[in-house]
Amino acid sequence: MGCDLNDPDRDVKRLFPESTGYRTLYVSVAQKGGPELLHQIEARLGDSFKGLYETADVPYTMYQVYKGKDLIGYIHGVNQKGRYGGLQVFLALDLQGNIRSFYFQKLTSQHAKLLRDPSFGRQFEGLNLKDFYGYNVTTAATRGESRVAAIRNPAPQAEDDFRAALRAVKKNLILVDEFLLGNRYKE
Amino acid sequence: MARRINVYQVAAKNLFRKKTRSALTVLGIGLSAWVLLSLLGFNRGYEAALNKDIDNMGFQVLVAAKGCPYEAATLMLKGGTGLRYMNESVIRDILRHPEVEKVTPMLMQAVFDPNKGESGGLSAYLGVDPATFPALKSYLKFKQGGWFTDTQAHEAVLGYEAAELEQREVGDMILILDKNIELRVAGVLTRSGTQDDGTIFVPLRMLQKEFGQEGRVTAVGIKVDRRADITALENKLYDLPDVQVVSMAQVKQTIMSLVSTAKVMVLSIALIAILIAMLGVVNTILMSVIERYREIGIIKSMGAMPWDVFRMIWTETVILCLLGGGVGIGFSVVLSKATDVLIRRLLPYTPTGSLVAVDSGLAFLTIAVILVIGLVSGVYPAWRASRVRPLESIRSEGE
Repeated sequence: MGCDLNDPDRDVKRLFPESTGYRTLYVSVAQKGGPELLHQIEARLGDSFKGLYETADVPYTMYQVYKGKDLIGYIHGVNQKGRYGGLQVFLALDLQGNIRSFYFQKLTSQHAKLLRDPSFGRQFEGLNLKDFYGYNVTTAATRGESRVAAIRNPAPQAEDDFRAALRAVKKNLILVDEFLLGNRYKE
Repeated sequence: MARRINVYQVAAKNLFRKKTRSALTVLGIGLSAWVLLSLLGFNRGYEAALNKDIDNMGFQVLVAAKGCPYEAATLMLKGGTGLRYMNESVIRDILRHPEVEKVTPMLMQAVFDPNKGESGGLSAYLGVDPATFPALKSYLKFKQGGWFTDTQAHEAVLGYEAAELEQREVGDMILILDKNIELRVAGVLTRSGTQDDGTIFVPLRMLQKEFGQEGRVTAVGIKVDRRADITALENKLYDLPDVQVVSMAQVKQTIMSLVSTAKVMVLSIALIAILIAMLGVVNTILMSVIERYREIGIIKSMGAMPWDVFRMIWTETVILCLLGGGVGIGFSVVLSKATDVLIRRLLPYTPTGSLVAVDSGLAFLTIAVILVIGLVSGVYPAWRASRVRPLESIRSEGE
């Protein structure tokens, strides 16, 4: 299932205060390249799409944000399986694919307050897909000088959800790179 | 030794003399028989399928505390407030009515989840009795897993939409944050197209205990005996103190009135088809009699009595009708699937399952109807033939 902004008009303005409008695109892996593209995406993620609900035919909702006639950025959210339910992780990105802001639209956890705290989200600002290539989503290990290693989990008891959030961000960035940035960060 | 003339053989031979005409007549009768049998099959199949669908709806009557929202959607609209409770002893009172076949108690609870959305939202849980609820909701099928392992188990069964939204599979956990209760997902249902798709089912006893509602329920689902008068039962249930009764009887009545209209239309078509077939039979046999005017005269001059001639012509009619009836039954059996599809396109509402139920009993009934039609249709031509005067007929051929 896709992941839409709860209130696109309000949310786009909040994430891009300078924006004057936005355009919504719906894309799916099945539609854009089928099983071959799915394999490529999984290879970049370093993990296969799992479970009943992370499938190739999920329609992703992508928002292109405009200031006047100029494209100024993107907003994209993904669903990710968390410990107690689906997480919805949204990223606002500039035209180069750098993260402007990160937030959970949905998160069920006893420690949600800590994870939803803006200070946690701020750790993602300025990162892009290149940084996440050094992060292994299955082992949570980082290699080289990945800036992802610097992201601190504010709720160690909620390690599952923390890891799920990082996987969601990497998946999110790969999909944006594939569908909107023309594979600018292909490994 | 001279062989005695067999009336049936002569009748059969006569039909073979004009093969195309006989075949077309048989086809006409066959089409009528097909329409008739399909209609009879539809009459039986549709009602059976509809009853099955209504049975699959689970309970036909829901008793809830007066003013209590009995659907999760209504509960959400009311902001999770307004829940009213009935004592579980109400089940005993309901079971006293002979019309009641089965009952299942339910308890709905809603909790505020601050992490749902950005400013929080409500999550509703429906406590059901694993011993009675699954039997009343037999249409619910599992995509994964099954019902709870125990009436007190900290487990949940998720409707399709609920599982998709929460990305839950069997073995995953869900959290009732307000009570800090962890539940293990025991099963995920397939899509049913009902409000159950968005429901989180939990064991009734566990929910009562965790929410401090022991001995209380918000609703009781009732399956009514098929032969019982639901409206009469509803009126009786209103005598229970402080309850509201929600019934599916009106839905069934509306559907049945739609079906009755459709039945009248199809019956009219069938009658017209039978009338046309009758006229076709009369026409065919009468033409045959007129063409064989001289021949019949010769048969009579050789000693055949009027009754022999009548019987011969009548037999021809009966043979045509029996063959047509057989063809019609063949059409019905072979084309029952196509008829089903056609009816589904024509009717405003069709239940699941086979709509046209053709069986041997209906096939025999059709043959009987067609035979009666044949016998009636054959009377006039046979009477005309039996009245032929031998000398007059032999002379008329030469004129």
